[in-house]
Amino acid sequence: MLKKRLMKHQEERDALILLLPLILLMLVFTVYPVLANFYYSMTKWKGFGTAEWVGLKNYATLLQDVKFWHSLKNLSVLIAYIPAGVFLPLLIAAILRDGLKGWTFFRSVIYLPNILGYVILGTLFSILLSQRGPLIELLTMLGVQDANRINILGQSNSAIHMVSLLFVILMKMGFGCIYFLAAMSSIDSSMYDAAGIDGANWWQRFWNITVPSISFSIQFFVVLSFIEVFARMYSFIYTLTYGGPGFATFTLEFGIYRQGFKAFKMGYASSWAVVLFFFCSAIAALQIYVIRKGDQLQ
Amino acid sequence: MIKRNNSARIFTYLFLGIITFVSIYPLYFAFISSFKNLAEYTQSNTAFPASMNLENYAYVFRNMEFSRFILNSIITVTTGMVLYIIICNAAGFALGLLRFRFKLSIFSFILFFQIFPQMVIAAQVFRICSKIGLMNSYIGLVLVWTAYFAPFGTYIMSTYYATIPRSMIESARIDGAGVFRQLFSIMMPMATPMIGTIGIVGSLAMWTELPFSLLLISEPAKRPLSLGIAIMKGEHGIPVPVLSAAILVSAAIPLILYFIFQKTIHMGSTAGAVKG
Repeated sequence: MLKKRLMKHQEERDALILLLPLILLMLVFTVYPVLANFYYSMTKWKGFGTAEWVGLKNYATLLQDVKFWHSLKNLSVLIAYIPAGVFLPLLIAAILRDGLKGWTFFRSVIYLPNILGYVILGTLFSILLSQRGPLIELLTMLGVQDANRINILGQSNSAIHMVSLLFVILMKMGFGCIYFLAAMSSIDSSMYDAAGIDGANWWQRFWNITVPSISFSIQFFVVLSFIEVFARMYSFIYTLTYGGPGFATFTLEFGIYRQGFKAFKMGYASSWAVVLFFFCSAIAALQIYVIRKGDQLQ
Repeated sequence: MIKRNNSARIFTYLFLGIITFVSIYPLYFAFISSFKNLAEYTQSNTAFPASMNLENYAYVFRNMEFSRFILNSIITVTTGMVLYIIICNAAGFALGLLRFRFKLSIFSFILFFQIFPQMVIAAQVFRICSKIGLMNSYIGLVLVWTAYFAPFGTYIMSTYYATIPRSMIESARIDGAGVFRQLFSIMMPMATPMIGTIGIVGSLAMWTELPFSLLLISEPAKRPLSLGIAIMKGEHGIPVPVLSAAILVSAAIPLILYFIFQKTIHMGSTAGAVKG
């Protein structure tokens, strides 16, 4: 009895020792910084020197800032692309699952963007889509009139849609296919055989067997897509459009950078960060809910 | 096995064709452009280069301290990797296999705080690092990276350690093995494939990271590669052929890793997502 209690005590101590390095690093470089934003969002602060208390003034400014509303509008456009960004790879994975010639080749290739990283992708796409880039050259060769007047990333109405199409759909497609195929590999194939006997067609099998069987992975992928849009876009925007033209491709993330590190209104930038904190918290809560519901945590 | 109709097949090939094109073309474009001189590029930016001219590569290495950037990236990413792997395994072992109070709360805490974008924490990380002298320092960058990327690696490792039977640690304890011997001599050797996976995924994340290096490194001689590229892109008047050469230099190591460890990378990116 005593020995068992001692063992238990020992295990608690071991766990603490093992977790300490991670917890310490996170407290200093993540948790404290996230929480400190609340204080600094109520100050006037340049990012260096002393911070002067101003109460809720930054938030009042925020509500009247056209850049802030642009960012929210842009985020809603990006979100509107998420359903397609989830459904298309799901559909393609389901078709590929039936077997398709040359699939392994496609798999290697369509994952490539994930290896290159957003700095390189943003840089390359900004060149490819520029007015003197290959796309315009191609259109000119095809005989499109005044193709060199087309400036996809330079016009505010088209820029955010191009960014969404690239970021939410095209660049995530390869990852999505591999991800859903991995999930589908665990579906019991006898379910399909049974459905085949019942005479179910392809779509019926897709909606009634495939989708419900991997619903955890689909939910997780939706959450991941939200994380990407709200919290992982900075490098891509920085190199692709730098938030422009005007504020046409501003996001909250990018706004914090421009306000804080370019205009040196760090107190004000912190109020942007607090707003983004609440969005991310909601997404994080959703993620933890999905993982717990999927029995990934004991 | 199951009869597919033709329109579905056409749709799939068409879509795969588009995605394949979007995935390959940027890299192909950088490749052909990197061998052109400016006149040749301006004349046509889609044509194949007339000759394999290596001048742009020479320029990148001679005038832009690129060899310095590569060295910086190698130093920071390898140091970061050692720290990252030890920390992820220690915490993953505890969360996956050990029993202790508040486990679920700690797990949720780690998952919760891994989500915030670099920019939400940037200002304060900047302030902390300048206070304790970690600006323009490899150590600072390595610590910040590890703090930021380790929660995800920990989550993946914990799902792996959860599959190991508890009798392993019980017998280790009877043999008198302390917690570090349990971790380094028993657990980590068993987890080698998963360590390889998080190692590659993590080092790719660090290799391509931008926001933290942009804010913490202002000395040009300390810049890692991805920062070097991002800054180059911002400087006007850098000709596309030179930029293309720089991009290919920066992508070379990740691409080589990808061709060798493709399966591991695919597995790593989907790990933790598949229920079970």
